[in-house]
Amino acid sequence: MEGESFYILFPNVTEGLKLEKLLKKEAIKYTIVPTPRELSKSCGICIMYEFRDESLIKRIVEEHGIRTEGFKSLTKRKAAVKFI
Amino acid sequence: MADYRDLWSNLGMDLEKHDLLCEALPQLYGGVYLIQENRPEGMNYYNFVVSEVHGLRIKELDDHKKAGGKVVGTFCVFVPDELIIAAGAIGVGLCGGSQFWIEDGEKVLPRNLCPLVKAIVGAKISGTCPYFQSCDLLTGETTCDGKKKAYEVLGEYAPIYVMDLPQMKRDKDYKKWEEEIYEYKAVLEELTGNKITEEKLSEAIKLCNRKRAALQRLYNARKVLNVPISGKDVLLVSQIAFYDNPERFIEMTNKLCDELEDRIKKGIGVASEKSPRIMITGTPMAIPNWKMHHLIEESGAVVVCEETCTGTRYFENEVDETQTTMEGMIKALADRYMNINCACFTPNKGREEDVVRLAKEYGADGVVYCNLQFCHTYNIEYRQVEKALKEAGIPVVFIETDYSNDDTGQLQTRIEAFLEMLK
Repeated sequence: MEGESFYILFPNVTEGLKLEKLLKKEAIKYTIVPTPRELSKSCGICIMYEFRDESLIKRIVEEHGIRTEGFKSLTKRKAAVKFI
Repeated sequence: MADYRDLWSNLGMDLEKHDLLCEALPQLYGGVYLIQENRPEGMNYYNFVVSEVHGLRIKELDDHKKAGGKVVGTFCVFVPDELIIAAGAIGVGLCGGSQFWIEDGEKVLPRNLCPLVKAIVGAKISGTCPYFQSCDLLTGETTCDGKKKAYEVLGEYAPIYVMDLPQMKRDKDYKKWEEEIYEYKAVLEELTGNKITEEKLSEAIKLCNRKRAALQRLYNARKVLNVPISGKDVLLVSQIAFYDNPERFIEMTNKLCDELEDRIKKGIGVASEKSPRIMITGTPMAIPNWKMHHLIEESGAVVVCEETCTGTRYFENEVDETQTTMEGMIKALADRYMNINCACFTPNKGREEDVVRLAKEYGADGVVYCNLQFCHTYNIEYRQVEKALKEAGIPVVFIETDYSNDDTGQLQTRIEAFLEMLK
Protein backbone atom coordinates (compact mmCIF):
# COMPACT_ATOMS: atom_id res chain seq x y z
CA MET A 1 0.00 0.00 0.00
CA GLU A 2 1.39 3.32 -1.01
CA GLY A 3 -0.09 6.80 -1.07
CA GLU A 4 -3.21 8.06 0.63
CA SER A 5 -6.03 5.67 1.54
CA PHE A 6 -9.50 6.57 2.77
CA TYR A 7 -11.46 4.84 5.53
CA ILE A 8 -14.83 5.01 7.25
CA LEU A 9 -14.84 3.97 10.91
CA PHE A 10 -17.88 2.68 12.80
CA PRO A 11 -18.98 2.42 16.43
CA ASN A 12 -19.86 -1.26 15.85
CA VAL A 13 -19.96 -4.01 13.21
CA THR A 14 -23.71 -3.66 12.58
CA GLU A 15 -23.38 -0.07 11.34
CA GLY A 16 -20.49 -1.06 9.10
CA LEU A 17 -22.43 -3.93 7.57
CA LYS A 18 -25.46 -1.67 7.02
CA LEU A 19 -23.35 0.69 4.95
CA GLU A 20 -21.72 -2.21 3.12
CA LYS A 21 -25.13 -3.40 1.93
CA LEU A 22 -25.96 0.05 0.57
CA LEU A 23 -22.60 0.45 -1.15
CA LYS A 24 -23.07 -2.91 -2.81
CA LYS A 25 -26.58 -1.90 -3.94
CA GLU A 26 -25.28 1.35 -5.41
CA ALA A 27 -22.32 -0.45 -7.05
CA ILE A 28 -19.79 1.75 -5.25
CA LYS A 29 -16.36 0.16 -4.96
CA TYR A 30 -15.27 -0.56 -1.39
CA THR A 31 -13.09 -2.95 0.59
CA ILE A 32 -13.68 -4.17 4.12
CA VAL A 33 -10.37 -4.02 6.00
CA PRO A 34 -9.08 -4.37 9.56
CA THR A 35 -9.00 -0.92 11.13
CA PRO A 36 -5.47 0.51 10.84
CA ARG A 37 -3.97 1.06 14.27
CA GLU A 38 -3.05 4.60 13.35
CA LEU A 39 -6.78 5.43 13.17
CA SER A 40 -8.13 3.53 16.17
CA LYS A 41 -6.80 1.37 18.96
CA SER A 42 -9.86 -0.88 18.93
CA CYS A 43 -9.69 -3.64 16.38
CA GLY A 44 -12.53 -4.57 14.07
CA ILE A 45 -13.77 -3.68 10.63
CA CYS A 46 -13.71 -0.45 8.73
CA ILE A 47 -14.48 0.32 5.10
CA MET A 48 -11.86 1.54 2.67
CA TYR A 49 -13.25 3.58 -0.24
CA GLU A 50 -12.08 5.61 -3.18
CA PHE A 51 -11.85 9.35 -2.65
CA ARG A 52 -13.85 10.15 -5.77
CA ASP A 53 -16.92 8.48 -4.15
CA GLU A 54 -16.65 10.35 -0.86
CA SER A 55 -19.47 12.87 -1.30
CA LEU A 56 -21.80 10.17 -2.63
CA ILE A 57 -21.03 7.90 0.33
CA LYS A 58 -21.49 10.77 2.77
CA ARG A 59 -24.93 11.38 1.30
CA ILE A 60 -25.86 7.70 1.67
CA VAL A 61 -24.64 7.71 5.27
CA GLU A 62 -26.77 10.76 6.03
CA GLU A 63 -29.88 9.58 4.21
CA HIS A 64 -29.90 6.24 6.01
CA GLY A 65 -28.87 7.56 9.40
CA ILE A 66 -25.82 5.29 9.60
CA ARG A 67 -23.64 6.03 12.61
CA THR A 68 -19.96 6.36 11.79
CA GLU A 69 -16.91 7.42 13.71
CA GLY A 70 -15.77 9.55 10.86
CA PHE A 71 -14.23 9.55 7.41
CA LYS A 72 -10.46 9.38 7.76
CA SER A 73 -7.42 9.24 5.56
CA LEU A 74 -4.00 7.81 6.06
CA THR A 75 -0.78 8.06 4.11
CA LYS A 76 1.29 4.93 4.34
CA ARG A 77 4.77 4.26 3.20
CA LYS A 78 5.38 0.94 1.57
CA ALA A 79 6.98 -1.31 4.18
CA ALA A 80 8.28 -4.85 3.92
CA VAL A 81 5.83 -7.47 5.15
CA LYS A 82 6.59 -8.64 8.64
CA PHE A 83 5.09 -12.03 9.39
CA ILE A 84 3.66 -12.53 12.85
CA MET B 1 -15.01 0.88 16.81
CA ALA B 2 -16.54 -2.01 18.63
CA ASP B 3 -14.92 -2.58 21.96
CA TYR B 4 -14.46 -6.20 22.89
CA ARG B 5 -12.22 -5.59 25.88
CA ASP B 6 -14.89 -6.55 28.43
CA LEU B 7 -15.54 -9.77 26.58
CA TRP B 8 -11.82 -10.60 26.42
CA SER B 9 -11.35 -9.70 30.04
CA ASN B 10 -14.19 -12.04 31.06
CA LEU B 11 -12.45 -14.79 29.13
CA GLY B 12 -9.39 -14.29 31.31
CA MET B 13 -7.18 -12.94 28.57
CA ASP B 14 -3.96 -10.99 28.95
CA LEU B 15 -5.24 -7.77 27.38
CA GLU B 16 -1.93 -5.98 27.26
CA LYS B 17 -0.16 -8.79 25.47
CA HIS B 18 -3.14 -9.45 23.21
CA ASP B 19 -3.03 -5.81 22.17
CA LEU B 20 0.37 -6.42 20.57
CA LEU B 21 -1.21 -9.07 18.37
CA CYS B 22 -4.09 -6.75 17.46
CA GLU B 23 -1.56 -4.11 16.55
CA ALA B 24 0.39 -6.33 14.18
CA LEU B 25 -2.50 -7.91 12.27
CA PRO B 26 -3.79 -4.94 10.19
CA GLN B 27 -0.30 -4.24 8.92
CA LEU B 28 0.37 -7.86 7.99
CA TYR B 29 -3.03 -8.29 6.38
CA GLY B 30 -2.57 -5.08 4.42
CA GLY B 31 0.86 -6.12 3.19
CA VAL B 32 -0.15 -9.64 2.19
CA TYR B 33 -3.78 -9.33 1.12
CA LEU B 34 -4.81 -5.77 0.38
CA ILE B 35 -1.92 -5.14 -2.01
CA GLN B 36 -3.38 -7.63 -4.47
CA GLU B 37 -4.91 -6.24 -7.61
CA ASN B 38 -8.16 -7.36 -9.14
CA ARG B 39 -9.32 -9.40 -6.15
CA PRO B 40 -12.80 -10.92 -6.38
CA GLU B 41 -15.36 -8.75 -4.59
CA GLY B 42 -16.53 -11.81 -2.70
CA MET B 43 -13.28 -11.65 -0.70
CA ASN B 44 -14.83 -8.78 1.23
CA TYR B 45 -16.60 -11.33 3.39
CA TYR B 46 -13.28 -12.95 4.38
CA ASN B 47 -11.73 -9.50 4.95
CA PHE B 48 -14.63 -8.97 7.31
CA VAL B 49 -14.05 -12.27 9.14
CA VAL B 50 -10.34 -11.54 9.57
CA SER B 51 -11.02 -8.00 10.77
CA GLU B 52 -13.41 -9.42 13.35
CA VAL B 53 -11.36 -12.56 14.03
CA HIS B 54 -11.12 -11.90 17.75
CA GLY B 55 -14.34 -9.89 17.88
CA LEU B 56 -17.64 -10.84 16.33
CA ARG B 57 -17.05 -14.60 16.16
CA ILE B 58 -15.96 -14.62 19.82
CA LYS B 59 -19.13 -12.71 20.66
CA GLU B 60 -21.13 -15.40 18.84
CA LEU B 61 -19.38 -18.11 20.85
CA ASP B 62 -20.09 -16.14 24.02
CA ASP B 63 -23.80 -15.82 23.16
CA HIS B 64 -23.92 -19.57 22.48
CA LYS B 65 -22.33 -20.28 25.85
CA LYS B 66 -24.67 -17.91 27.66
CA ALA B 67 -27.58 -19.86 26.19
CA GLY B 68 -26.11 -23.03 27.73
CA GLY B 69 -24.16 -24.21 24.67
CA LYS B 70 -20.63 -25.60 24.65
CA VAL B 71 -17.58 -24.81 22.54
CA VAL B 72 -15.10 -27.52 21.54
CA GLY B 73 -11.63 -26.77 20.19
CA THR B 74 -9.84 -29.10 17.78
CA PHE B 75 -6.36 -29.21 16.25
CA CYS B 76 -6.60 -31.61 13.38
CA VAL B 77 -8.72 -32.63 10.40
CA PHE B 78 -9.20 -36.12 11.85
CA VAL B 79 -11.55 -35.05 14.66
CA PRO B 80 -15.07 -35.41 13.22
CA ASP B 81 -16.87 -32.04 13.25
CA GLU B 82 -20.09 -33.93 12.56
CA LEU B 83 -20.25 -35.25 16.14
CA ILE B 84 -19.55 -31.83 17.68
CA ILE B 85 -22.33 -30.25 15.63
CA ALA B 86 -24.75 -33.13 16.28
CA ALA B 87 -24.18 -32.64 20.02
CA GLY B 88 -25.32 -29.02 19.66
CA ALA B 89 -21.83 -27.68 20.37
CA ILE B 90 -19.76 -25.31 18.24
CA GLY B 91 -16.44 -26.63 16.98
CA VAL B 92 -13.50 -24.31 16.40
CA GLY B 93 -10.23 -25.26 14.77
CA LEU B 94 -7.50 -23.81 16.96
CA CYS B 95 -4.89 -22.33 14.73
CA GLY B 96 -1.35 -21.97 16.06
CA GLY B 97 -0.06 -20.28 12.91
CA SER B 98 1.73 -17.32 14.46
CA GLN B 99 5.28 -16.60 15.53
CA PHE B 100 3.73 -14.48 18.27
CA TRP B 101 3.03 -17.60 20.35
CA ILE B 102 6.37 -19.37 19.90
CA GLU B 103 8.16 -17.69 22.77
CA ASP B 104 5.49 -18.68 25.28
CA GLY B 105 5.33 -22.19 23.85
CA GLU B 106 9.08 -22.55 24.36
CA LYS B 107 8.66 -21.80 28.05
CA VAL B 108 7.15 -25.25 28.55
CA LEU B 109 8.25 -27.19 25.45
CA PRO B 110 11.63 -28.00 23.89
CA ARG B 111 12.77 -25.50 21.28
CA ASN B 112 13.49 -28.14 18.65
CA LEU B 113 9.83 -28.85 18.06
CA CYS B 114 7.49 -27.97 15.21
CA PRO B 115 6.35 -24.30 15.34
CA LEU B 116 2.71 -25.31 15.03
CA VAL B 117 2.87 -27.35 18.23
CA LYS B 118 4.78 -24.65 20.10
CA ALA B 119 2.34 -21.98 18.90
CA ILE B 120 -0.70 -24.02 19.97
CA VAL B 121 0.62 -24.33 23.50
CA GLY B 122 1.91 -20.74 23.54
CA ALA B 123 -1.48 -19.43 22.46
CA LYS B 124 -3.13 -21.11 25.42
CA ILE B 125 -0.65 -20.33 28.14
CA SER B 126 -0.18 -16.70 27.10
CA GLY B 127 -3.93 -16.10 27.32
CA THR B 128 -3.91 -14.24 24.02
CA CYS B 129 -6.21 -16.42 21.91
CA PRO B 130 -9.90 -15.84 22.67
CA TYR B 131 -10.83 -19.07 20.87
CA PHE B 132 -8.79 -21.14 23.31
CA GLN B 133 -10.29 -19.16 26.17
CA SER B 134 -13.84 -19.86 24.91
CA CYS B 135 -13.42 -23.64 24.78
CA ASP B 136 -15.17 -25.91 27.29
CA LEU B 137 -13.19 -28.87 25.98
CA LEU B 138 -10.14 -29.31 23.76
CA THR B 139 -9.93 -32.40 21.59
CA GLY B 140 -6.53 -33.68 20.63
CA GLU B 141 -5.55 -36.66 18.53
CA THR B 142 -2.47 -38.86 18.29
CA THR B 143 -1.27 -37.78 14.86
CA CYS B 144 2.31 -36.79 15.65
CA ASP B 145 4.58 -37.28 18.64
CA GLY B 146 4.97 -33.53 19.15
CA LYS B 147 1.26 -32.90 19.51
CA LYS B 148 0.63 -36.09 21.43
CA LYS B 149 3.05 -35.11 24.17
CA ALA B 150 2.17 -31.41 24.03
CA TYR B 151 -1.42 -32.33 24.91
CA GLU B 152 -0.14 -33.54 28.27
CA VAL B 153 1.25 -30.05 28.87
CA LEU B 154 -1.91 -28.37 27.55
CA GLY B 155 -3.91 -30.55 29.91
CA GLU B 156 -2.41 -28.60 32.80
CA TYR B 157 -4.13 -25.48 31.51
CA ALA B 158 -7.45 -26.68 30.05
CA PRO B 159 -9.66 -29.78 29.93
CA ILE B 160 -8.53 -31.98 27.06
CA TYR B 161 -9.68 -35.26 25.56
CA VAL B 162 -7.40 -37.14 23.18
CA MET B 163 -8.62 -39.45 20.40
CA ASP B 164 -6.29 -42.32 19.60
CA LEU B 165 -5.78 -42.28 15.83
CA PRO B 166 -4.39 -45.55 14.44
CA GLN B 167 -1.19 -45.19 12.39
CA MET B 168 -1.79 -47.95 9.87
CA LYS B 169 -4.70 -48.61 7.53
CA ARG B 170 -5.57 -52.25 8.11
CA ASP B 171 -9.18 -53.41 8.63
CA LYS B 172 -8.61 -53.54 12.36
CA ASP B 173 -7.41 -49.93 12.32
CA TYR B 174 -10.63 -48.78 10.64
CA LYS B 175 -12.55 -50.68 13.35
CA LYS B 176 -10.40 -49.11 16.04
CA TRP B 177 -11.15 -45.62 14.72
CA GLU B 178 -14.86 -46.48 14.69
CA GLU B 179 -14.56 -47.35 18.39
CA GLU B 180 -12.76 -44.08 19.04
CA ILE B 181 -15.59 -42.18 17.35
CA TYR B 182 -18.14 -44.01 19.53
CA GLU B 183 -16.20 -43.05 22.63
CA TYR B 184 -15.91 -39.44 21.53
CA LYS B 185 -19.66 -39.40 20.94
CA ALA B 186 -20.20 -40.36 24.59
CA VAL B 187 -17.72 -37.68 25.74
CA LEU B 188 -19.58 -34.99 23.80
CA GLU B 189 -22.96 -36.20 25.04
CA GLU B 190 -21.75 -35.93 28.61
CA LEU B 191 -20.21 -32.49 28.03
CA THR B 192 -23.29 -31.00 26.39
CA GLY B 193 -26.04 -33.00 28.09
CA ASN B 194 -27.46 -33.56 24.60
CA LYS B 195 -27.99 -36.98 23.07
CA ILE B 196 -26.54 -37.43 19.59
CA THR B 197 -29.52 -38.94 17.82
CA GLU B 198 -29.49 -40.55 14.40
CA GLU B 199 -31.48 -37.62 13.07
CA LYS B 200 -29.06 -35.00 14.43
CA LEU B 201 -26.00 -36.89 13.21
CA SER B 202 -27.50 -37.34 9.77
CA GLU B 203 -28.18 -33.58 9.55
CA ALA B 204 -24.63 -32.78 10.71
CA ILE B 205 -23.15 -35.16 8.13
CA LYS B 206 -25.10 -33.38 5.39
CA LEU B 207 -24.01 -29.96 6.67
CA CYS B 208 -20.32 -30.90 6.74
CA ASN B 209 -20.61 -32.44 3.28
CA ARG B 210 -22.10 -29.20 1.97
CA LYS B 211 -19.12 -27.34 3.40
CA ARG B 212 -16.77 -29.80 1.70
CA ALA B 213 -18.66 -29.38 -1.57
CA ALA B 214 -18.36 -25.57 -1.37
CA LEU B 215 -14.59 -25.85 -0.85
CA GLN B 216 -14.28 -28.35 -3.71
CA ARG B 217 -16.22 -25.93 -5.92
CA LEU B 218 -13.80 -23.16 -4.93
CA TYR B 219 -10.82 -25.37 -5.79
CA ASN B 220 -12.39 -26.37 -9.11
CA ALA B 221 -12.36 -22.71 -10.14
CA ARG B 222 -8.55 -22.78 -9.94
CA LYS B 223 -8.19 -25.51 -12.54
CA VAL B 224 -8.68 -23.11 -15.48
CA LEU B 225 -5.81 -21.54 -17.39
CA ASN B 226 -6.71 -17.99 -16.39
CA VAL B 227 -6.99 -18.45 -12.62
CA PRO B 228 -9.76 -16.16 -11.22
CA ILE B 229 -8.46 -16.08 -7.63
CA SER B 230 -5.05 -16.03 -5.99
CA GLY B 231 -3.70 -18.92 -3.97
CA LYS B 232 -3.36 -16.79 -0.86
CA ASP B 233 -7.03 -15.82 -1.05
CA VAL B 234 -8.05 -19.47 -1.28
CA LEU B 235 -5.75 -20.32 1.63
CA LEU B 236 -7.51 -17.67 3.69
CA VAL B 237 -10.94 -19.09 2.82
CA SER B 238 -9.76 -22.57 3.87
CA GLN B 239 -8.33 -21.26 7.13
CA ILE B 240 -11.58 -19.46 7.94
CA ALA B 241 -13.56 -22.65 7.25
CA PHE B 242 -12.14 -24.04 10.48
CA TYR B 243 -13.82 -21.59 12.81
CA ASP B 244 -16.59 -19.72 11.01
CA ASN B 245 -20.30 -20.46 11.39
CA PRO B 246 -20.71 -23.37 8.92
CA GLU B 247 -24.01 -22.27 7.34
CA ARG B 248 -22.79 -18.71 6.81
CA PHE B 249 -19.45 -19.95 5.51
CA ILE B 250 -21.15 -22.23 2.97
CA GLU B 251 -23.44 -19.44 1.77
CA MET B 252 -20.63 -16.90 1.37
CA THR B 253 -18.21 -19.36 -0.23
CA ASN B 254 -20.83 -20.40 -2.77
CA LYS B 255 -21.44 -16.71 -3.53
CA LEU B 256 -17.70 -16.27 -4.07
CA CYS B 257 -17.78 -19.30 -6.39
CA ASP B 258 -20.64 -17.74 -8.41
CA GLU B 259 -18.42 -14.71 -8.93
CA LEU B 260 -15.39 -16.85 -9.84
CA GLU B 261 -17.37 -18.89 -12.35
CA ASP B 262 -18.60 -15.63 -13.88
CA ARG B 263 -14.99 -14.40 -14.03
CA ILE B 264 -14.00 -17.59 -15.81
CA LYS B 265 -16.73 -17.01 -18.42
CA LYS B 266 -15.54 -13.44 -18.93
CA GLY B 267 -11.86 -14.40 -18.97
CA ILE B 268 -10.94 -12.36 -15.87
CA GLY B 269 -7.88 -13.66 -14.05
CA VAL B 270 -5.51 -12.59 -11.28
CA ALA B 271 -2.27 -13.69 -12.91
CA SER B 272 -0.76 -13.71 -16.35
CA GLU B 273 -1.45 -16.86 -18.32
CA LYS B 274 2.31 -17.25 -18.42
CA SER B 275 2.62 -17.25 -14.62
CA PRO B 276 3.98 -20.57 -13.39
CA ARG B 277 1.25 -22.64 -11.68
CA ILE B 278 2.40 -23.99 -8.35
CA MET B 279 0.94 -26.69 -6.17
CA ILE B 280 1.89 -26.71 -2.49
CA THR B 281 2.08 -29.94 -0.55
CA GLY B 282 3.14 -30.69 3.00
CA THR B 283 2.36 -29.51 6.50
CA PRO B 284 -0.68 -27.43 7.51
CA MET B 285 -0.75 -23.63 7.24
CA ALA B 286 -2.78 -22.30 10.13
CA ILE B 287 -3.97 -18.70 10.21
CA PRO B 288 -2.13 -16.25 10.00
CA ASN B 289 0.60 -18.29 8.31
CA TRP B 290 0.53 -16.85 4.78
CA LYS B 291 4.29 -16.85 4.37
CA MET B 292 4.88 -19.38 1.57
CA HIS B 293 1.91 -18.29 -0.53
CA HIS B 294 3.01 -14.68 -0.22
CA LEU B 295 6.61 -15.41 -1.21
CA ILE B 296 5.57 -17.60 -4.15
CA GLU B 297 2.94 -15.21 -5.50
CA GLU B 298 5.13 -12.14 -5.01
CA SER B 299 7.68 -13.93 -7.20
CA GLY B 300 5.21 -13.94 -10.09
CA ALA B 301 3.72 -17.43 -9.79
CA VAL B 302 0.21 -18.42 -8.80
CA VAL B 303 -0.65 -21.15 -6.30
CA VAL B 304 -3.38 -23.35 -7.77
CA CYS B 305 -3.75 -26.13 -5.19
CA GLU B 306 -2.72 -27.14 -1.67
CA GLU B 307 -2.40 -30.82 -0.79
CA THR B 308 -2.35 -30.02 2.93
CA CYS B 309 -4.64 -30.21 5.97
CA THR B 310 -5.61 -26.61 5.24
CA GLY B 311 -6.31 -27.68 1.66
CA THR B 312 -7.58 -30.81 -0.06
CA ARG B 313 -7.11 -33.12 2.93
CA TYR B 314 -9.77 -31.10 4.73
CA PHE B 315 -12.52 -31.45 2.16
CA GLU B 316 -11.85 -34.28 -0.29
CA ASN B 317 -14.11 -37.34 0.07
CA GLU B 318 -17.57 -36.89 1.52
CA VAL B 319 -19.19 -38.96 4.26
CA ASP B 320 -21.73 -41.46 2.89
CA GLU B 321 -25.13 -39.82 3.44
CA THR B 322 -27.22 -42.90 2.72
CA GLN B 323 -26.71 -44.48 6.15
CA THR B 324 -29.70 -44.30 8.49
CA THR B 325 -28.59 -46.24 11.57
CA MET B 326 -26.13 -44.99 14.20
CA GLU B 327 -23.81 -47.95 13.42
CA GLY B 328 -23.94 -47.18 9.71
CA MET B 329 -23.25 -43.48 10.19
CA ILE B 330 -20.35 -44.00 12.59
CA LYS B 331 -18.80 -46.49 10.19
CA ALA B 332 -19.28 -44.02 7.34
CA LEU B 333 -17.52 -41.35 9.41
CA ALA B 334 -14.65 -43.70 10.27
CA ASP B 335 -14.26 -44.71 6.61
CA ARG B 336 -14.16 -41.08 5.41
CA TYR B 337 -11.70 -39.85 8.02
CA MET B 338 -9.39 -42.86 7.76
CA ASN B 339 -9.12 -42.08 4.05
CA ILE B 340 -7.19 -38.88 4.76
CA ASN B 341 -3.62 -39.50 3.70
CA CYS B 342 -1.65 -37.95 6.55
CA ALA B 343 2.07 -38.62 6.91
CA CYS B 344 1.39 -40.06 10.37
CA PHE B 345 0.37 -43.32 8.63
CA THR B 346 2.74 -46.02 7.55
CA PRO B 347 2.89 -46.81 4.74
CA ASN B 348 1.28 -43.78 3.13
CA LYS B 349 1.27 -44.62 -0.55
CA GLY B 350 -2.10 -42.87 -0.91
CA ARG B 351 -0.47 -39.48 -0.44
CA GLU B 352 2.02 -40.05 -3.25
CA GLU B 353 -0.90 -40.88 -5.52
CA ASP B 354 -2.86 -37.84 -4.31
CA VAL B 355 0.02 -35.45 -4.95
CA VAL B 356 0.57 -36.70 -8.50
CA ARG B 357 -3.17 -36.81 -9.26
CA LEU B 358 -3.76 -33.27 -7.92
CA ALA B 359 -0.72 -31.79 -9.68
CA LYS B 360 -2.17 -33.10 -12.95
CA GLU B 361 -5.78 -32.12 -12.14
CA TYR B 362 -4.79 -28.53 -11.37
CA GLY B 363 -2.29 -28.26 -14.19
CA ALA B 364 0.63 -27.50 -11.86
CA ASP B 365 3.94 -26.68 -13.55
CA GLY B 366 5.79 -27.45 -10.34
CA VAL B 367 5.30 -28.52 -6.74
CA VAL B 368 6.64 -26.77 -3.64
CA TYR B 369 6.95 -29.23 -0.77
CA CYS B 370 6.61 -27.15 2.41
CA ASN B 371 7.76 -28.65 5.64
CA LEU B 372 7.46 -26.98 9.01
CA GLN B 373 10.76 -27.33 10.87
CA PHE B 374 11.06 -30.53 12.92
CA CYS B 375 8.03 -32.22 11.34
CA HIS B 376 9.66 -35.62 10.95
CA THR B 377 6.84 -37.51 9.26
CA TYR B 378 6.37 -35.07 6.39
CA ASN B 379 10.11 -34.49 6.18
CA ILE B 380 10.91 -38.19 5.77
CA GLU B 381 8.03 -38.72 3.38
CA TYR B 382 9.51 -36.18 0.95
CA ARG B 383 11.75 -38.86 -0.48
CA GLN B 384 8.85 -40.98 -1.74
CA VAL B 385 6.75 -38.02 -2.89
CA GLU B 386 9.71 -36.59 -4.80
CA LYS B 387 10.25 -39.95 -6.49
CA ALA B 388 6.59 -40.22 -7.50
CA LEU B 389 6.58 -36.67 -8.89
CA LYS B 390 9.82 -37.20 -10.80
CA GLU B 391 8.39 -40.33 -12.38
CA ALA B 392 5.41 -38.25 -13.49
CA GLY B 393 7.76 -35.59 -14.89
CA ILE B 394 6.68 -32.89 -12.41
CA PRO B 395 9.45 -30.70 -10.90
CA VAL B 396 9.50 -30.33 -7.12
CA VAL B 397 11.46 -28.34 -4.56
CA PHE B 398 11.71 -29.00 -0.82
CA ILE B 399 11.45 -26.04 1.51
CA GLU B 400 11.73 -26.23 5.27
CA THR B 401 10.69 -23.19 7.24
CA ASP B 402 8.97 -21.84 10.35
CA TYR B 403 6.84 -18.76 11.08
CA SER B 404 9.69 -16.29 11.53
CA ASN B 405 10.97 -13.60 9.18
CA ASP B 406 14.57 -14.79 9.46
CA ASP B 407 14.66 -16.86 6.28
CA THR B 408 12.36 -14.90 3.96
CA GLY B 409 15.18 -13.46 1.84
CA GLN B 410 16.79 -16.83 1.41
CA LEU B 411 13.47 -18.51 0.60
CA GLN B 412 12.65 -15.84 -1.96
CA THR B 413 15.91 -16.61 -3.76
CA ARG B 414 15.24 -20.35 -3.77
CA ILE B 415 11.67 -19.88 -4.99
CA GLU B 416 12.75 -17.52 -7.75
CA ALA B 417 15.39 -20.03 -8.88
CA PHE B 418 12.79 -22.80 -8.92
CA LEU B 419 10.33 -20.68 -10.91
CA GLU B 420 13.07 -19.74 -13.35
CA MET B 421 13.73 -23.43 -13.91
CA LEU B 422 10.06 -24.02 -14.77
CA LYS B 423 10.06 -21.50 -17.63
